Order: sequence, then C-alpha cells, then structure tokens
Amino acid sequence: MTPRLTRTIGFVTFATFVVVIAVLPSFISDFKARDYSYVGIYLIALLGLNILTGYTGQISLGHGAFMAIGGYTTAILMAGNEEFGGPLSGGMKDVWTLPIAGLVAGLFGLAFGLPALRLSGLYLALATFAIAVAMPSTAKRLEEFTGGGSGIQLFGTPELTGSIANVRIFGWSLTPNDWMYYLAWSIALVAFAVAWLILRGRTGRAFRAVRDSETAAVSSGVSLARYKTLAFGISAAYAGVAGGLFVIASAFINPDAFPVALSIYLLVGIVVGGLGGLSGLVFGAIFIAFLPLWAQGQDLGSLLPDRIIEETQKPGGPAIVYGVVLILLMFVIPNGVSGLFRRIGQLISSRRYSRSK
Amino acid sequence: MRRPSVLVLALATALFAMLPVALAGSSSDPGISPTTILIGGTSPLTGPAASYATVAAGAKAYFDSINAKGGVAKRKIEYRISDDAYNPAQTVQVVRRLVEQDKVFAVFNTLGTEANLAIRDYLNQVKVPQLFVASGATTWGRDAASYPWTIGFQPSYAAEGFVYGQYIAKTQKKRKVAVLFQNDDYGKDLLASLKSGLGRSGSKVVAAEPYEVTSPDVGSQIGKLKASGANVLAIFATPPFAIQAYVFANRLGWRPLVFNNAVSGTSNTMTLASEGGKNKSVEGTISTSPLKDPIDPRWKNDPGMKQYRAILARYAKGANPNDANHLYGMAVAYETVSLLKRLGANPTRVGLMAAARSITSAGNPFLLPGVSVKTGKGDNFPVQQGQLQRWTKGRWVPLGGLWTSKRN
Amino acid sequence: MVVAAFSDFMQQVVSGLASGGIYALLALALVIIHRSTGVINFAQGEMATLSAYIAWTLTVNHGWSYWPAFAATLAISFGGGVGIHRVVIRPVERGSVLRIVIVTIGLLVAINGFVIWEWGGEPQQLQSPFGTDTYSVGGVVVAAHDIGTIVVALGIVLLLWILFQFTKVGLAIRAAAVNPEEARLVGVRVTWMLALGWGLAATLGAVAGMLTAPTVGLDPQMMQAVLIYAFAAAVLGGIDSPIGAVVGGLLLGVLLNMLSYLSQYSAFGWFTEELRLPAALLIILVVLVVKPSGLFGRPEVKRV
Repeated sequence: MTPRLTRTIGFVTFATFVVVIAVLPSFISDFKARDYSYVGIYLIALLGLNILTGYTGQISLGHGAFMAIGGYTTAILMAGNEEFGGPLSGGMKDVWTLPIAGLVAGLFGLAFGLPALRLSGLYLALATFAIAVAMPSTAKRLEEFTGGGSGIQLFGTPELTGSIANVRIFGWSLTPNDWMYYLAWSIALVAFAVAWLILRGRTGRAFRAVRDSETAAVSSGVSLARYKTLAFGISAAYAGVAGGLFVIASAFINPDAFPVALSIYLLVGIVVGGLGGLSGLVFGAIFIAFLPLWAQGQDLGSLLPDRIIEETQKPGGPAIVYGVVLILLMFVIPNGVSGLFRRIGQLISSRRYSRSK
Repeated sequence: MRRPSVLVLALATALFAMLPVALAGSSSDPGISPTTILIGGTSPLTGPAASYATVAAGAKAYFDSINAKGGVAKRKIEYRISDDAYNPAQTVQVVRRLVEQDKVFAVFNTLGTEANLAIRDYLNQVKVPQLFVASGATTWGRDAASYPWTIGFQPSYAAEGFVYGQYIAKTQKKRKVAVLFQNDDYGKDLLASLKSGLGRSGSKVVAAEPYEVTSPDVGSQIGKLKASGANVLAIFATPPFAIQAYVFANRLGWRPLVFNNAVSGTSNTMTLASEGGKNKSVEGTISTSPLKDPIDPRWKNDPGMKQYRAILARYAKGANPNDANHLYGMAVAYETVSLLKRLGANPTRVGLMAAARSITSAGNPFLLPGVSVKTGKGDNFPVQQGQLQRWTKGRWVPLGGLWTSKRN
Repeated sequence: MVVAAFSDFMQQVVSGLASGGIYALLALALVIIHRSTGVINFAQGEMATLSAYIAWTLTVNHGWSYWPAFAATLAISFGGGVGIHRVVIRPVERGSVLRIVIVTIGLLVAINGFVIWEWGGEPQQLQSPFGTDTYSVGGVVVAAHDIGTIVVALGIVLLLWILFQFTKVGLAIRAAAVNPEEARLVGVRVTWMLALGWGLAATLGAVAGMLTAPTVGLDPQMMQAVLIYAFAAAVLGGIDSPIGAVVGGLLLGVLLNMLSYLSQYSAFGWFTEELRLPAALLIILVVLVVKPSGLFGRPEVKRV
C-alpha cells in the first residue's frame, strides 16, 4: 500500500466517522446523546494520554488529576468567586472556560514534566500515581476555591448552557442533551485532528524517537528535555479540556468526581484502544464509558444469561465482571483495538499482494 | 504503513455505535404502567462504601414481599438499583439515566450526602421526587422550601449530635470532650451540633481530630485526643474507623465515657469493637437509634422483627439479618409502600410528594415502639426521634425514654 | 508539663512506628514481586486482603484455631500466587509492561469485587497472633502486636536475605528476573522461578494482611489506603531492597505522625489531615528526584 493510498483511506474513514457522529442524534433517544457525549469527553482525554504514553513512551497514572485541574478551573470560573475580584467575581460562560481549563492544566503538565525528566518507567508511573492520589485531598484542602468536600453545584446556573431549556444555535434549537453531545464531539473531532497533525509532523517523529530509544534520540539531536516536557504539557492540556467538559456534562464537581480509579481507567482506555494508534481510541473511550454499565447487566450486558445478571447485581458483582473482562481483553487483543485493525489491514494487504502475483 | 480498509472501520464504528442503541430499553410514561410502578435509586455496589449496599438490598426484599401479595393497587413495585461506586459524578450520570431513559416514577433512597447533593438541583428542576434520601444531613429537611421534591428520612446528624451534647450538659459535670470525626459534612454536622448541645454547661470540646476516608488508621488521632486530657470521647466515624477508635483507645489504656454515633452504633459493630470481650472500652458507650436492634433479645418474638427475618430469608438469600442496614432499608420501604397505598389507583409524582409531606404513620414495625414517622406543615423530617441506649455487658440497654428533636 | 509533652511526642513516634510496620509488610510483598518478576503488582493489596479473609473465615466460620488457620492461609496464598501467575500473568508476560500492569489492575478490581461479593462489606475482626497486651514504658504505651509486627518484618528481611544470597533457588529467582534468556541457557526453569516469585510475594502479602487486620479492622477496603503508603515506602527504600522496604515504611510512618504532631504549632498549622497522604507522596517525589533509586536501591544501568 502506498503512503498516498493509506492517507486517502485515512481521510475517507475519518470523514465517514464525522458524518456518523453528526447524524447519530437523529437516530437515538435524547438521553443517549448525553451518554455518548461522555464517550467524546473520554476520547479527548485518551488522545492526550496516548500522546504521552503511546507515542512518547512515558507512563502516566495521573491523568485523572489533570482532568480534575481542568474541571475545577471550569467550575470555579463558572461559579465566580469574590477572592478573584473585578470581572472574575461573576461567573463565566461554560464554553469560554474550556480553553482556559486546557491552558491551566497544560501549564501544570509542563511544570510536572520538568522534574519528571529524572524519572522513567516505574518511578514515573509511581510519581504520576502520587499526583492522582493527592489530587482529591488537595482539592478538599483548598476549600475557599473548590468548595471543599461539598464541591460546586452548577446545575441551573445561567453560566451553564442549556441547563433545562433548549439551546438556540445557528438557527437550530437543540435539546440540552443534544447540545452537550455536539459540544463534546465537535471539540473531540477537532482534538483528534490536532493530535493527528502533531503526530505526523516533526514533533510526532521526535516523540516516537524518544519512545523507541532515548539514547538513539539524543544522538540524533532530539532534545529529550524539550520533547518529554512538551508531551506532558500537551497531554495535560487535553485532559484539562476533557475535565472541563466533564464538569459541564455533570453540572457538578467535588473531590470524589475525579478519584484515583479514573486515572487508572484512562490508562486502561488507551491500552484497550491501542497504544500508538489513533483509530482504536474511540473504542477505548466506549469501553471506559460503558463497561461499568454493562457489568451491571444493563444495555449490552443484558445479553448475558439471567442467572449471571442476578449475581452481578449483588454488591461487588459488577467489579468482578469488569476485572475479568479487562484481563480477557488483554489476552485476546494484546495490542488493543488499533492493533486489531492493523492486523486486519495486514491480512487484507498481504492477500492483495499475493493476488497480484 | 498498514491501514485497515475503509469499509471495515466504518462498518465497525457504525455497528458499535448502534449496538447499545439497539438494546436500549424502550421509553414509557414516567414509571407508571398498568402493572408496575418503577422506582430507581443508586447504591454503592462497588467502591469504598460497599458495606452500605445492604440498605438497598433490604428495601428490595421488602418490595418483593409486597409484590408477592399482589403489590399496591394491582401494580408491582419494580425497584431498579444502579451502582454509583460512591462517586457523585457517577451518581449524576446514573440518575439522569434512570430519569430520562428508564423513566422512573421516583428516585428512591439514594445513598450518601454528596451523592444526593449532586443530583438535588437536577431532580427538582425536572420535578422528579427525590424520596427518602439515605443521609442524615440537615439540609434535606431544612431546605425543603427551596427543594420541594427532596425529602429525607432518618433523624438528622444535627439532631443526634445535639442530643449527645444535651445529655452531657444535663447529667455530667464539667467534662472535657474529645471528638474523632470524619472530615466531611457528616462528621462536621455531628461535631457542630454536639457543641451546640453542650451549650454553656461547663463541659466543652477540648480536642477534635479529623480523619480522611483514605487514612489507613486513626492511631495518631486517638493518641492526640488522649493527650488532650479529655474524659469523654465522641466517635463520629463510620464503622471501620469507629472500631479502630475503640482498639486504639484500649491500647493506650484510655477509658473515657464514649458516645458512638448511630451509623456505627449497631450491635454488630460494637461486638467487633469489643475484641471478643477483651476490649473493655466499649462498656458504657452511649448511642442512639430509632431502629429495633436485630440482636436484641427483647425483640425475639416481636412480630415486626419476625417479619423482617422472614422477608430476608425468603427474598434476599444469603443476607445477614444482623446487618442493621437491611432493617433500615426495610423501614424506608415500608413507609414508601404506605405512601403508594395512599395514592391509590392513579399515582402521580405531585401526589407522591404531597403524601410524603403529610405522613402520619403511627407505627413502623421496624422502628422502636413509640417512634413515629410524621411530616406536616413546617415539619420536613419524617423521623425525629430516637432512643438513647447504653452498651452494657454485650448489648444495648435503653437509657431513659425516647427523645424528640424539634430542631430543623 | 515538659515531661508530659515529651511522652506525647514519643507516643506519636511509637504509633508512627506501628503504622509504619504495616506499610513495611505490604511493601515487602511489592518489593519481592518486583525483584523476582520485574512487575509492579497493583493487585498485591487485594490479594493480601483476600488472604486475611481466608484466615478469618477459617477461624470464625469453620471454627479452626488460629495457628492452623494461619499456616493454611500461607499455603493457600502461596498456591494462589503461583496459580495467578500461571493462569493470568503468563499469557501476557512477554508483552509490554503496560499490558501486565493492566492485567494486575484487572485483578485488583476483580478480587476486590469478589471479596465484597462473597463476604459482604461490613467490617469484621481478625485476632492478632500476639494478643492484646500492652506495655507502658515511661508513660508511653506500646502494644505487643505492634512490636510483633516489626519483629516479623525484620525477620522476613533476614529470611529473604538468606534465600537470595545463600540458596540455589534464590539465585535462580534472581537470574530469571534479571536475564531470563541467559538464565534459561544455564538451565534455570525460568517460568517456574517467576511463578515462585509470585507465590512468595502472595505469601508475604498474606502475612501483611493477617497482621494488618487486627489493628485496622478487616473489611474489603482494608489494604487500599495501605497500598498507597506501601508503594511510597517501597519506592522510598528502593524498589528491589527488602531492608529498604522496612526502613522506608517505618520512616514514613514516623515522619507523617511527626507532621501531624507538629501541626499544633503555628509554624506547621497549615498541615491538616487532608494533606497527610499528599505529604507522604511529596516526600517520595523529593527523594526520587534527589536519589532516583531510593535510599537502599542501586541505580539501574540502561543498555543501549
């Protein structure tokens, strides 16, 4: 397969996907639109994490914390706070908080990336894990800004677009759920395109060089410090935007909304989706968003026999299902969904070559 | 570079996206059909609060027993329990799903103060009843005017703390009180009302140590509390940490007068804390509860408790009857069924809340005799009474008569 | 007044050592699994909890007496560790580290769920092999259980040292971990050595679980908070060093209690309870940045 053909296929696939996303709400119930917007939100976070872990080879078990930073930025800006004084005392419209959420989280990512240069592999994983663990407690401590344990309630506030009433945009009237869906997915698709652009360019090549062999990268003139830190910053910014969207979707934030489990599930998402590939990440996002539900026997899970569903609804049951499914997935698709696609592609292209003999 | 063919990817995406759609439940009018009443709620089936999942199990067992007798006005009560892993963001998602997709008639007995705070604004906006929340925060009753669709059930933590404070004020002289409290609304509520109950009696809180749910142990806190020289210890902690408090106090040789909060005051917890009888710091602990105690021999032949055990045995196989959470769930379910019966053949959400604000139930077979469930104009706390009790030789012995809180 | 303050201070140190002993025990399990297989096992805490529940159910539900139950739990845990390696880990061993991490996360979630599903979420009590006696030394109270825990931890360090330094099996485990290909060439049955490593770690975890439960209370979440501190202790001490795990754990316990004790003085007033965990992790981060392989660890040499 020539590179040009590959790229064309990629574009067409992406275009198809965009079309599917755009028309999907017309085919599904209103509520499902909100459900699916979470898939878009997780996709954004996974795109970021993948840049760091899949492409630059740095494990992060702390991206839930960057989501939390973005989320709290959004919430605090929307709620307004007298401590800020001046024009920021009042609330800010939700959509405008998102770039700021991304920026703030990105800065924290850069700030963390610098000392993280000294760590790698296991130690980096533990250091990022430390951030994820420390985040809820820190949020609780900074009560004047974060609302402490009770958090910040945003539902029904004017800053939250489409709390109850329909949203009018470009001449259309959208239900609040559809609005959330389109907001999340338009940002997700843009994020996807941006990630693709970054990764195919010089930066992406530098990232891959760092992942494959740091020593070789250095001897080729790639600055480890710059690219590793940059990867952290970009991935944190993505997570921040995702976090802000998450808070907008839930209309509520408190320290428990971004627990340690979230950071772990994000990592699960990129491994299931497939490291170092973008196409599978959508499936990773679907996995994170829906497996907990399926594990309780809802939706897809209702395909399971009744006896099993009964057992899984007992306390602890859904967790057993989740863990077992996760393990089985690692057996069956070791390189994630992207890896699966690659294999399918290999099979198809090898058949083409053999046929053209 | 190898890329999959267009068709495969597009097909896979479309299929995957459609699949949940194809299997989604169909929508119906809000929860009432000719044969069922659908109510939904969240419960921490996984995660740090999984020990409270038995509340929902108890309620479900009761509903099942009513259904076996034909239900209410020829409708069976379907109680859909969803896991929220004690994460309020997940609670929001799950509850929206229950309301907008499953179209439940009411959201019932959702567990956790933060969880309920997260969904309260939403439910009140969409006018769906947030019935009998499983939390003792004062706000459920106090803010009823702003949130007419939300109502609590159990005595508030504020009432409880106040009662302890008043007891100390009236019966003890010049005590120094030390408090171990969970660092969230539940613990802080109890602490604040304890102080308020102490008033200007001469006894006061000399030390208060918080702990986080993520703490492995509270040894350091107990040490500091003992060092304060206090002779009364108030434990405003959940069962695992309450037990630890007794264990550490005992190790330090500290024998204060202990007040243990209702959440951890179950006989089960107290028995464990006594470490097989070797830990004497449990002796004389004072606590309160509106519920009958499953292991109290007083209720061995009590019809209500017999019913409780029978229902659990029949509809919740494997459930431990000594776990008082089951009993609490059943008590709430009992009141709910009473409400539904009052609504008759055409239940409406508006009617449900009106009924919930005008309860005059004299007796609940699972609550202590004399404890009434009552709401009315200006009274938005269904249960406002309890029985002080003292732990004596391995069981709870009533201390005085029922107390009633007028505080809101 | 000063005497009273000093004994309060010492009491906090002692209770810090007691907590630290618990972190040390689980940290030992983490160190062993990493040392013998190169893997960080996120499920280590849950496996320890499961072992503690097994001990509990044997003594309480089946009426066994303590020591036979203790021994049986060790044996079952060892078998369980080996079993988990053969069934769950071996299929993914050759792949990326991340894949193995995800599998251990799956184990964590599944085992935690299983414990809740089987035994419910309410707290239970497991007795201590050291009894409930306490000793008072100059106004400071020390519990027999806590002394016993630290002694056991140090004893394990000694046994491990003997195992790795002086026995063929220990040598084989180390070889299999460091360079599996070459070890195979020399006749080491690498797969069995890895399984042995898992079994050993599971056994250590069982000890950790059975000694943690009497203090902290037996419930499904018992090890989750401890796991984080244990990770911190293991990293602090050096991820491959058993003695590092113990020193790291004790140090961590004492340091945190010190911060808590000092918070009564205004200079440290900002240190509130919420910051206990972040403080532990900050300490770790600082140590890692200064000495990346931990207190007793040896620096990794990267091959080009």
